[in-house]
Amino acid sequence: MTKKFWVHSAHDSVGVAVEDLSAGEALTGAYMDTGGEVRIQSSAAIPLGHKIALRDVKKGDKVLEYGEVIGAATQDIRAGEHVHTHNVKSLRWG
Amino acid sequence: MTTFLGYERENGRIGVRNHVLVIPLDDLSNTSAVGVQKLIQGTTVIPHPYGRLQFGPDLDLLFRTLAGFGRNPNVASVVLIGIEPNWTQKVADSIAQTGKRIEAFSIEGHGDLKTIEKASRVARDMVIKASENRRKEFDVSELVVGTKCGESDTTSGLASNPTVGSAYGILEAAGATMLIGETTEVTGAEHLVADRMVTPELRQKFLKMFQDYNTEVTSHGADLLGSQPTQGNIKGGLSTIEEKALGNVQKFGKCKVVDVLEYAEEPRKKGLNYMNTSSAGAEAVTLFAAAGAVLHIFTTGQGNIVGNPIIPVIKTSANPKTVATMGEHIDLDNSGLLRFEYDLNESGRRLFDLVVRTASGRITAAEALGHVEFSPTKLYVSA
Repeated sequence: MTKKFWVHSAHDSVGVAVEDLSAGEALTGAYMDTGGEVRIQSSAAIPLGHKIALRDVKKGDKVLEYGEVIGAATQDIRAGEHVHTHNVKSLRWG
Repeated sequence: MTTFLGYERENGRIGVRNHVLVIPLDDLSNTSAVGVQKLIQGTTVIPHPYGRLQFGPDLDLLFRTLAGFGRNPNVASVVLIGIEPNWTQKVADSIAQTGKRIEAFSIEGHGDLKTIEKASRVARDMVIKASENRRKEFDVSELVVGTKCGESDTTSGLASNPTVGSAYGILEAAGATMLIGETTEVTGAEHLVADRMVTPELRQKFLKMFQDYNTEVTSHGADLLGSQPTQGNIKGGLSTIEEKALGNVQKFGKCKVVDVLEYAEEPRKKGLNYMNTSSAGAEAVTLFAAAGAVLHIFTTGQGNIVGNPIIPVIKTSANPKTVATMGEHIDLDNSGLLRFEYDLNESGRRLFDLVVRTASGRITAAEALGHVEFSPTKLYVSA
């Protein structure tokens, strides 16, 4: 099956779409560090290069990519949702 | 052993281009410098808006940038024009240390037209002489290469930047000199950069540089998050400065950092050198070229189009939409990596091969399209 998103690290809470994704797609992605497969259903349209939540993240919790913190959730995020500036915010320069 | 075809300069440094450079020392001298460039075919000119009433470290940096362009091994010889002789001579003396031909002119007491005529006669001799320089074979360890990402998106962190890291690994093993920087754009990944430093002293030097830059950019009270990530970054899927930085530092690959340099400071050691730079594309490429980089690898996600007057800027993107819509700016389409068509080792090898071919004379997209951005960094207001 074509892999439509990549995940930098096994610890990550988000994957990155490598093509445009539609809402409600059953997706297969790949972990870059282990090569293992990961499956998720999208709940929103997600453009190429944008992030999809791999698991639920509670408001205020840290969002992980590259196995590192990229910011905190500004609202509850459900697995399969689009993750971007509307629901994650930098923890720097504030 | 991999070799390229380059130009050997008087001081033993190897260039990959053969420019006769006309440098205006200050804004007032742009007209004369451009006048020479219009009259004499084959000259390159770098107009800029600075050079009057600057002082202290800001003036030192401008002089280091202008002299650095003259000293760069991609430059065969230099015509320098300033409004008055004293400051002009300071930059001329620095360029003369390389042993290359440098002729300086000042406009006061002569006017533009006489200056243009005198300087043009010299430039005419220089381009004819330079045209007889021949490329010879040199080991890639002689190369000094810079890298920067611009209009990044998540494809930069997934593919283009790791590809630079892979190519930098090949260059490191070959004994080349590599430069990297973008001090604000390691914010959120500064601990990963600090871990690459080969000594505790360098680690401290880097962390202080990072902290000072952060203090400076946050001291104005503005919300930096309106600028970082950029609107293009956000469109491409980058949500925060931390995410952008973590993608950015993929360019380090597995390389260790052997030295930490100030703006436009020439590297003393082979291997990967960290240089303090702005994260603005043209400014950073200008600083690397002023430090002696002869070639630049620039990754882009959404489509940054920057070039440089004296060094070739290789542009690579892994975003298939950017490659499709802005293909004329892209030297290496790396979108196949995202489609699992090849792995990161092969991707790095392809980029390294393109570096060698470009060093040997292959023209980049930015050169073909005439992108000649010369953007000196200004540290603070003039007097």
